[in-house]
Amino acid sequence: MDYILSGLIHAFELLFQGDPETYSAVKTTVLASSLSVGASMVIGAPLGFCLGYAHFPGRRLIRVIVDTLLSLPTVVIGLLCYAFMSHRGPLGGLELLFTIPGMAIGQTILGLPIVVAMTATAVENLDYRLKQTLLTLGTDPRQLLLTSLWEARFALALAGAAAYGRIVSEVGISMMVGGNIKWHTRTITTAIALETGKGQFAMGIALGLILITLALLVNLAMSGLKRLSGQ
Amino acid sequence: MVRKSVFLFLTALALWMAGPLSGSAADSLMLATTTSTDNTGLMDILAPELKKDTGIELKWTAIGTGKALEMGKNCDVDVLLVHAPAAEKKYVADGFGKDRTQVMYNDFVIIGPENDPAGLKDSSVLEAIRKLGAGKAAFVSRGDNSGTNKKEIFLWKEAGLAVPDKEKWYVQTGQGMIATINVATEKGGYTMTDRGTFIKFADNHAGNPPLRVWVENDPALFNQYSIIAVNPANCKNVQYELTRKFTDWMTSKKIQNLIGNFKLLNKKLYIPNAR
Amino acid sequence: MNKSLYHLENLTQVYRDRTVLDVDRLNIEVQTITGLIGPNGSGKSTLMRILAFLEKPAAGRVTFQGRPLSQVSPVLRREVTMLSQEPYLLKRSVQANVSYGLKIRGISDTQHPVRQALEKVGLDPARFSQRSWRELSGGEAQRVALAARLVLKPKVLLLDEPTANVDRESSELILHAALEARNQWGTTLIIISHQLTWLRQIADHILALDYGRLTRVR
Repeated sequence: MDYILSGLIHAFELLFQGDPETYSAVKTTVLASSLSVGASMVIGAPLGFCLGYAHFPGRRLIRVIVDTLLSLPTVVIGLLCYAFMSHRGPLGGLELLFTIPGMAIGQTILGLPIVVAMTATAVENLDYRLKQTLLTLGTDPRQLLLTSLWEARFALALAGAAAYGRIVSEVGISMMVGGNIKWHTRTITTAIALETGKGQFAMGIALGLILITLALLVNLAMSGLKRLSGQ
Repeated sequence: MVRKSVFLFLTALALWMAGPLSGSAADSLMLATTTSTDNTGLMDILAPELKKDTGIELKWTAIGTGKALEMGKNCDVDVLLVHAPAAEKKYVADGFGKDRTQVMYNDFVIIGPENDPAGLKDSSVLEAIRKLGAGKAAFVSRGDNSGTNKKEIFLWKEAGLAVPDKEKWYVQTGQGMIATINVATEKGGYTMTDRGTFIKFADNHAGNPPLRVWVENDPALFNQYSIIAVNPANCKNVQYELTRKFTDWMTSKKIQNLIGNFKLLNKKLYIPNAR
Repeated sequence: MNKSLYHLENLTQVYRDRTVLDVDRLNIEVQTITGLIGPNGSGKSTLMRILAFLEKPAAGRVTFQGRPLSQVSPVLRREVTMLSQEPYLLKRSVQANVSYGLKIRGISDTQHPVRQALEKVGLDPARFSQRSWRELSGGEAQRVALAARLVLKPKVLLLDEPTANVDRESSELILHAALEARNQWGTTLIIISHQLTWLRQIADHILALDYGRLTRVR
């Protein structure tokens, strides 16, 4: 129990005294997750749109596969990424291992199924009158896609929040692809893993609280954006 | 309004990212090492000194000897700092590593609870292993192919016993050294650790650790750390020159002294022995 | 080469093995007002959707300005717009809703046209432009939807029971605005409505549909 209390106090100390290791971990987490959530949304939303909008043979099967990928363990993704990004692997020449972009790529694989599945559902649930209205106002296919996605923006925001949650809390990918290198690829979560592995539980709790605070700030910002865009 | 906010955020993010993502201007060396050198804090002492003296930025991942050797084979790191001499020699013989250089040593110790349930007091290491094999107390193993783990398995063999893989009292954590020691503490059992990590553990407990050393100073417990360069013949991308610089630096008188003076609780964690 | 705006021949539409539309011959001329009446399920909305290029018929010929459907370019298709029964707006402000059609046609100067269109449907721009889609009554929403179409100065305006779900005042304003479109810009109107008296007053022709088959009235 005293872990939690001392963890709480420690969290404040770390934040307000500007502990450089902590801030480095926060920065790495923010960078990697911003890249990966962004990529997941940009790639996943149009894919999810196609899945939810069009009726093509095999649609059901693809949807089942996407939903199954939601259960991919992060260590497995991390392992697969390592296999590809290692110098022995096909992408070795890209020098992605032990880098933030490398971690971001792995995390994007984690986030994509979430965004695709939730966007597909959001699009399926769009008012049937939207398509007709947009077509009669003269949209071309690209405009139809973009406007439909914007109309579904609140559901898409939820998809983004879900992807963000899963990405910012993962350890397996960051650990395997990033290597938990101090100052460079140590995220808040890999730092927590390290500290708890060293038996420094209070530190682990402190970092955990900092992560939650970060998530809170992000969601407050999202809420503000929602307000601005009409909800 | 929404678009503007998002755009501003993305621009700010891009500018902020430009630094860490542009890749270091300085020479940077990628090292794979054991959890023990990392947990003790040795790397944190060495890295800034290296930067000051040579301009090389050291990046290291602490993953255990087995994985470090594997990463070297895969050409994902430039240099290794590990402690499994038998495996290391084979590694070099097989052509994956080059320029194996001794750097420092300490010894392994078997630690356990104050009340010594397995009665290890005054035993030699092989006697102790046999007593532990009786299973009166828990024995916690790294179980992760690390240098420490390899030594432990070697000792079981030397004592004429099979590794008690499936026994209930033999706990394999698959984790780093301090994590393993913590499990031993929780279970009131024994474990084998390098002395450096044990001193760090004791330091964490303000000099009063829940486990104490029961078996030590046996020649079989000698723990040699060495640097191995990943063989450039095998890996075109490794920075062999930088690794040579690093090795020379680590074996220099100044740094050997630095390693020797690295103390916690006024005890030396490593003893330099570069030739 | 048919000179009519629309020419339909042997047109049929089928939903799940049921023939919902079966029109032998129909011509609609430019700048006319055509009324379309009939009981529920008679195929009126289906016919309208086909004329609006929102649906393809199962069989038959349709030409628009003398061209078969397949040769009607997207630019030409954009000249035809439809307003459906239930008021439906995009999730944005009134201003943004009305200017949407202009924006996707690459027209960025929308302030003035939007204001004009809102005035045409009897909505004071000063009071309504910045309102969000949530803050409108059914009648106001339908009027905004109409304004969004009027602002495009369409060649053809199809109205599917435009006053079915709105209040009296909105109803009158909507019908008035539609008429003005014809008078000012020569827009061809095709209107589905139950208000037979009003239709008789303004329409050049009234078509009656029953079980998908057409009869001319008047």
